[in-house]
Amino acid sequence: MALAIKATGLSKCYRIGRRRSTSFRDSVAEALRTLFTSRAKPQVDFWALRDVSFEVPQGEAVAVIGKNGAGKTTLMKILSRITEPSSGAALISGRVASLLEVGTGFHPELTGRENVYLNGTILGMRRSEIKRRFDAIVDFSGIEKFIDTPVKRYSSGMYVRLAFAVAAHLESEILIVDEVLAVGDTEFQRKCLGKMKDVTSRQGRTVLFVSHNLEAVQNLCQRALLLQDGRLIDDGPVTAVVSNYLHRFVSSKKEQNWNSETAPGNDHIRLLHASVRPMHRNQNTFYTNDDIEFTFRFEVLRDKPTQLDVTFHLLDERGILVLVASSAFSKNDFFHNTIVEARTTIPGHILNQGTYTISRLMFLERKCFILFEHNDTLSFDILPQPTGRMGWTPAQKEGIIHLPQMHWTLERC
Amino acid sequence: MRTVITANRSGLRLNLPELLRYRDLLWLLAYRDYRVRYAQTFLGFAWAFVQPLLTMIVFILVFNKAAGVDTGDIPYPVFVMTGLWAWSYLSFVLTQGGQSLILSSHLITKVYFPRLLIPLAKSLVAFIDFSVTFVFLVVLMLVYQYAPSPNVITLPLWLLALIALSVSAGIWLSALTIRFRDIQHAIPFLVQIGLYFSPVAYHSSRVPEQYHTLFYLNPLAAIIDGFRWAVLGTPLPEFPYLAYSLAVIVLLLVSGLYYFKRTERIMADIL
Repeated sequence: MALAIKATGLSKCYRIGRRRSTSFRDSVAEALRTLFTSRAKPQVDFWALRDVSFEVPQGEAVAVIGKNGAGKTTLMKILSRITEPSSGAALISGRVASLLEVGTGFHPELTGRENVYLNGTILGMRRSEIKRRFDAIVDFSGIEKFIDTPVKRYSSGMYVRLAFAVAAHLESEILIVDEVLAVGDTEFQRKCLGKMKDVTSRQGRTVLFVSHNLEAVQNLCQRALLLQDGRLIDDGPVTAVVSNYLHRFVSSKKEQNWNSETAPGNDHIRLLHASVRPMHRNQNTFYTNDDIEFTFRFEVLRDKPTQLDVTFHLLDERGILVLVASSAFSKNDFFHNTIVEARTTIPGHILNQGTYTISRLMFLERKCFILFEHNDTLSFDILPQPTGRMGWTPAQKEGIIHLPQMHWTLERC
Repeated sequence: MRTVITANRSGLRLNLPELLRYRDLLWLLAYRDYRVRYAQTFLGFAWAFVQPLLTMIVFILVFNKAAGVDTGDIPYPVFVMTGLWAWSYLSFVLTQGGQSLILSSHLITKVYFPRLLIPLAKSLVAFIDFSVTFVFLVVLMLVYQYAPSPNVITLPLWLLALIALSVSAGIWLSALTIRFRDIQHAIPFLVQIGLYFSPVAYHSSRVPEQYHTLFYLNPLAAIIDGFRWAVLGTPLPEFPYLAYSLAVIVLLLVSGLYYFKRTERIMADIL
């Protein structure tokens, strides 16, 4: 089969100047020194990408996964020609549309209609193409009524919908998508994933997909590349690479604390603490019969009272989504400018032995709009229940769930 | 369509087919600026009128009345406005084009397209101010009953030179600005100085002969002389100076494109 992308030895090196001196006197001295001596400042090379080679046949959907700073975005930027590699080469057959952000070039003063044209042409479409697909774009976004309103009056949800609708209608042979599904409401995310699935499976287009959403990755792609510190360390079927990733990077993280400077978050939410522990016991090991308690502490920075829900996705070590836990159906208060602690429990005898990861921890407004999402928050191992009272060790159980006792009847008939 | 991405792409060549393919984007970028700058607010358009009007009044007071610049039988307001007409185009492209790349960093770091479109779009938007000043000129010529000279048919040529000069200065400055951020503070100063070193308020013939080599190093001088020759029938500079100015424009354009293409390769990394 013909190749869509052939990358050989791609590397990208950034020169980072030495850390700036902290005092004014030092910085003046430093400035004078560099002025009168040679211009060469002491520099440190940082390899964002190092010797990455792979091939993607036409029509394949490939995921690129890895920790933050592993080089995923740099790779995407090189392949979409935003930046040049320091060495190596890539051969690309077909028109590339890259989506490193939703709504690139949207201008708040312009109307939805004008922004569709502006954003579309920025992404490489011709005006005639956009005209042809305009109705489909507006239809997909579901905001017909506001299409002639300046987007500064849109809610953030409407903005994302319109922006993604444009991107979803790009006519290109190769689509490069970087973490754009991390925003917007869940229902629309599902619609977008559906559209992307459609793009890859039915229209036979090549897709490179960067995401922290391991479920989406497995749902969309057959194959995955795993990057670590700029190097390609795994390339293979998506399930195998995802489980490699989970083993390598998210092993056992039962408690995380952040201070006000390091707290991950944004203008709405800052995550301060996340932990998982077996209930009723002070130990740090989990057995299949333990009730497992989750605690999340976060700061709500919004000024207006917001109906908040916490939702997380729990994956097992193969990257299979085991459960989605959400506070959306409990009674929730409205919060603003406060610190909130959320607790929930998974009763014992449900999760089987294995390694579990909270792959997505989401803070939602009104059950649907994602205010903030944190990935790979916690991870823990569940061990088989220790030796029973009668000295009898239960056999290792397979399967995703664990049930202590199932009632059977065996009768002669 | 095949694309080869390498470390040392022969990226210094101007890719004209690609620029052509992206022409819709050029128009939309210009349209966006037009909408944001002018259509959104009433004052937007008012500003385009106020600027040449006030400059003209100041020049009448300072140069015509106080310094006693004499323009013969040409009414001084008509004389000044012809110069301001050409000047309005160049100054817009210099100020807007110069900072255009920095202000578009959100695009440059997120998506690929020929970066040249960004300063080029500004040279399209500049036609709005240019047209406004032109309306002023026409009104003044009607008021003072001054008929255009027959040389007016050569106007497109002078306009072409003006566009070439402005575009090359715009791309030079835009590329320089992202390498050396201080340039953006220097541009308004440059524009202000340029207004006095160009024959906007006075005629080039008033510049002493021995300084002409230096004076015409600024190609705008020859262009403004050309505009006045075409519209008002004032004398043209001698031919060697015209050729000299043309050579400077060509040099600026070629070197500007070269420097821009060189900077384009690292643009996303240094923004």
